[in-house]
Amino acid sequence: MIHHYDVLIIGGGLTGLRAALRVSDAGLNGAVVSKVHPLRSHSVAAQGGMNASLGNVKGEDGTKDSWKNHAYDTVKGSDYLADQDAVERLCREAPTAVIELEHMGTVWSRLADGKIAQRPFGGAGFPRTCYAADRTGHNALHTLYEHVSGRQIPVYEEFFVTSLVTKDGRCIGCTALELMTGQVHGFLAKAVLMASGGFGRIFNKSTNALINTGDGPALALRAGALLKDMEFVQFHPTTLYGTNILITEGARGEGGILLNQNGERFMERYAPNSVDLAPRDVVARSIEQEIAEGRGYDGGYVHLDLRHLGAARITERLPGIRQIAIDFAGVDPIQDPVPVQPGQHYSMGGIDADINGATALPGLYAAGECACISVHGANRLGGNSLVETVVFGRLVAEKIIEDVEEMTLANDEPVKAAIKSTNDRIEGILRREGGELVFGIKDVMTNNMSNKFGIFREKQKMREGLDEIKKIQEQVGHVSLQNKERKLNQALIRFLELEGMLLLAEAVARGALAREESRGSHKRTDYPERDDLNFLKHTLVGLRDDTMHVSYKPVTLGVFEPRERVY
Amino acid sequence: MKLKVYRYHEGMAAPRYDTFQLVPSPAMTVLEALFQFQEKLDDSLAFRYSCRGAVCGTCAMLINKVPRLACRTQVESLLKGNLKVAIAPYPAIGETVPWDPEEEVLVEPLPHLPVIRDLIVDMGIFFQYYRFIAPVFRPSDPDPEKERIMDPAAVKKLETYTNCVLCAACHAACPVVGQNPEYLGPAALAKLYRFHVDPRDVEEDSTLKRADIPNGWWACDLYGNCNRVCPKGVPPRTAIEKAVAALNKEKKEA
Ligand SMILES: Cc1cc2nc3c(=O)[nH]c(=O)nc-3n(C[C@H](O)[C@H](O)[C@H](O)COP(=O)(O)OP(=O)(O)OC[C@H]3O[C@@H](n4cnc5c(N)ncnc54)[C@H](O)[C@@H]3O)c2cc1C
Ligand code: SF4
Ligand code: FES
Repeated sequence: MIHHYDVLIIGGGLTGLRAALRVSDAGLNGAVVSKVHPLRSHSVAAQGGMNASLGNVKGEDGTKDSWKNHAYDTVKGSDYLADQDAVERLCREAPTAVIELEHMGTVWSRLADGKIAQRPFGGAGFPRTCYAADRTGHNALHTLYEHVSGRQIPVYEEFFVTSLVTKDGRCIGCTALELMTGQVHGFLAKAVLMASGGFGRIFNKSTNALINTGDGPALALRAGALLKDMEFVQFHPTTLYGTNILITEGARGEGGILLNQNGERFMERYAPNSVDLAPRDVVARSIEQEIAEGRGYDGGYVHLDLRHLGAARITERLPGIRQIAIDFAGVDPIQDPVPVQPGQHYSMGGIDADINGATALPGLYAAGECACISVHGANRLGGNSLVETVVFGRLVAEKIIEDVEEMTLANDEPVKAAIKSTNDRIEGILRREGGELVFGIKDVMTNNMSNKFGIFREKQKMREGLDEIKKIQEQVGHVSLQNKERKLNQALIRFLELEGMLLLAEAVARGALAREESRGSHKRTDYPERDDLNFLKHTLVGLRDDTMHVSYKPVTLGVFEPRERVY
Repeated sequence: MKLKVYRYHEGMAAPRYDTFQLVPSPAMTVLEALFQFQEKLDDSLAFRYSCRGAVCGTCAMLINKVPRLACRTQVESLLKGNLKVAIAPYPAIGETVPWDPEEEVLVEPLPHLPVIRDLIVDMGIFFQYYRFIAPVFRPSDPDPEKERIMDPAAVKKLETYTNCVLCAACHAACPVVGQNPEYLGPAALAKLYRFHVDPRDVEEDSTLKRADIPNGWWACDLYGNCNRVCPKGVPPRTAIEKAVAALNKEKKEA
């Protein structure tokens, strides 16, 4: 079956839904395809908030925030790798994006004067983060979905996109496997927007939803787009030991302290001034070092101690965190310290896209966490990615609306052919017998990524890691599934995800090996310093004849001159 | 430590139950147990998942005869008998298979929704009722340049209802839904109430009217199972009672 649209949006998270509304405003015929119901997208899990210089709360010295301050903090946070024109656009548009959501119905938390509340966040010079309690993503996503469903914008739920279709060097649609029926559908469109979210799950310890397997960037890479800055992966210092659910920075903001196995407040050694509230990357590295040097607990974690705050303060200020600790670790922070360890949290890299979301493949656009428009550079600030989703969800949709005006739909033939080859591929996978099971291989890959491309990186280890990835890529060709059915075959989905994840793993590995410097989240023990002379540039990875190639392109600098990043 | 799981797919004459010996791990959730089942025993087991952190509302199922989120429910606590929820009995949670609650965790699909395969149900009707109540913020005044001003206390009150993750646990726990499949159900009604109590929406009464039909507010029998099973502390029954009171008052005045 082939469906025809002006604009096809892959992904039903904040980015995809914001774009869908804009496309519908323009009177175009758009649709959303999502492998889960849109409300189950990872955006729903975002806790802390969305940055915008509304200026509702004054800074410490009584001055008012501005988009320029926001831009400065973002560029500095990025360790100067962000493109400053893109950052400017993000920060100028951020207040509008937050107000738009408010007008659509989002219930933001409020100040005593009734305006949208804003709180301080790491790396920001002003209280700039707008929030809806600790459920910002949930509130924003439900609002957008309410409008999407109210306008009856078509949503293909539980459709797993299996390939992008190209014709004469242009993306003209995609194929997707309908989970419930096992049928492969074709979609033909004048433009395709990839809004498929992050790829955190290539690491074994991640705060991301289980569905964040990075399918979009892998599909785009195969179809001829490029990936950018894939080596920049953010690790959050405090994720719950066991499930790696995020324990927000707020827990330390309220006075929580980190302790090693000897009961020592080790952050005093690493960051004598800011101690437990040092920037994320610093705290994450410190915890990692404590564990590596044998001062962590068995299994690799340290303690986040909140007990001294007392029951009243914990239940009032950190109810969500307490609930998480009880539900997921069986620990009540009022009585016991919470076991935490660093975990993957955010993918700065993604599909290489320009300031309008256009990729190297005409007809394909990208926005949100799957994209690298490069507003986060080498390190994302908390609260900046939610705002990126709604700002660029809208702006990229606007560019698409402009671009498709004079376009006509291609004919169905290439999509028909793609449906056939997808069906053949699936049949081929289902026919295989006797190989290894998909789950074990996935664990080997995710462990490899965390061990070799984690918080500390070094040439020898990374070489081994890359060899391992190549080996697993070989193995995956022989994987077989017990479940041979077409309908609702989740093992098959897991396999298709794994294939893509292995491509991204290689892209991360190649980017990280080639970048012989330390910048933002990319910390090389063998190259501990930032090297602007040789590496103030974006890494690009492309696929030619099934081989990955690394190249570079310059960073768009601007008014903020690269300086040493000190906090 | 065992998992007893409901299995069904098209073509089977009747559902069956598979029992699986779990490899214990600390603080294991039912969702993790299901992954273990899928990875070690049978990769054809079907269940929905996404966030694994009790925020996305994907993984509600009937666990030890109570609708709950699999990712938030710990196997060990269940076996210890710590997670009992007293809900009013209704046909859909009657005995289906013998099980030993000290040894086994019984996992079945959410009642009141058609089973597609194993633990996956068709949520179609649930979202149809959601759409029916038209949950869209549509204030009658024009949008101001900036945000609409809101009293922080009003926000607190609203949050009680915006917290709903649309997991359908309440829908599955409602005896009335079981008897009357056309009842809009607790989730849709609680969602509608959220718009009613939004102080920015000045057209207050018309909001409640959207469910002023026999299968809307008036169908509720106040069992209260919804309030008890909601993993997010949303109280649909309370919302319905308040809505009914408001509508009655309005009718009396008119
Ligand atoms: C625990 C946590 C807390 C966070 N908190 C914050 C915060 O407070 N502030 C902040 O700024 N950022 C935060 N972030 C980051 C932020 O939430 C994400 O970057 C953002 O939500 C991504 O949105 P998105 O729309 O790009 O993608 P997503 O919301 O991830 O949506 C991706 C969509 O793509 C679809 N999709 C993917 N692959 C396929 C496929 N093959 N076929 C079909 N559909 C597909 C999915 O179904 C989904 O609908 C947090 C992240 C985590 C992990
Ligand atoms: S009210 Fe509670 S139980 Fe019902 S759908 Fe919402 S979150 Fe789930
Ligand atoms: S997986 Fe999201 S609520 Fe359980």
